[in-house]
Amino acid sequence: MTLLTILLLAGITFGTRYLFLEGRLPVRLGPNLRLLLSYSGPSVLAAILAPILLVRSEQLDLSLSNPYLWGAAAAVTAAYKTGNIYWTIGAGMLVFIAVGQLI
Amino acid sequence: MLPLSLAVLPWGILFGSLAVQRGFSWLEAQLFSGVIFGGAVQIVTVELIADNSSLLTVLFTAFIISSRHFLYGLSLRERLSPQPLRWRLSLGFLLTDELFALSGHRRAYLGKLRLYYGLAAGGSFYLAWNLWTFVGIVAGASLPDLTDLGLDFAIAATFIALVVPGIKSLATLAAVLTAATASVIFTLWHFELGLICAALLAMMVGYTVNKLSGKWGGGS
Repeated sequence: MTLLTILLLAGITFGTRYLFLEGRLPVRLGPNLRLLLSYSGPSVLAAILAPILLVRSEQLDLSLSNPYLWGAAAAVTAAYKTGNIYWTIGAGMLVFIAVGQLI
Repeated sequence: MLPLSLAVLPWGILFGSLAVQRGFSWLEAQLFSGVIFGGAVQIVTVELIADNSSLLTVLFTAFIISSRHFLYGLSLRERLSPQPLRWRLSLGFLLTDELFALSGHRRAYLGKLRLYYGLAAGGSFYLAWNLWTFVGIVAGASLPDLTDLGLDFAIAATFIALVVPGIKSLATLAAVLTAATASVIFTLWHFELGLICAALLAMMVGYTVNKLSGKWGGGS
């Protein structure tokens, strides 16, 4: 069962990557669907990301003792200022670990 | 390409250890990375399967997470669709966010040499992803608390690095904030289709804000 699920998942990820590389595909996406899809990346990533930061043991944790929030604040600042993936991860991890040690 | 192969390190290790700790065999865990080859989709679906979600939820969630790939395929279509099948299949399989990020060069994939470069870059991510997964599987089996070490924060930080610099319009900002808020609420509700609904809702908000801001003459 798990094996079948894995293979089906592989079919989905490969299908979405390969679909438009196939030249004979007659499908064209209209400008509205393209516009909608252009928000897919940031929306999916934000939807995965937010609960990692804010939900601790099934509770909303907006307290100042949540190291994930401090780390995220540092990462957002670094991402905004530098736009560089390594600075962002580095600054975020540093603050996350430092705050985690202090609390 | 080496720095990008290192960037998938926390992902691979987290995925491998997470899969083993959620009751998957090491073979299943390695197979996820071997045939699916996608960071977000693997981590999310492993959790869903372990929580006994229905097959339809698992597949539909994977489809929504992967839907951004349609755009990658579309933007490379002109260059890659005339290529022979073996190039389309191999580069299509390897077309991750990372490979697409390297495909921005105006001459990418033009000519044999650049096709081979794409294949080498994509292939090296593939090898790195599978190697780190294997390390995660081994580490997860021997260090049961690995997921508490903050690897999940490393994932979050990677996502922040991917999302924040891309927020260049009010519409994208609205989409990101909607997705984050809705997703947190749905998670607290234990809503199985939460990720799908949050992402779709956010896409519609982004779309609407874009259309409205165009109408008002502001925004981009």
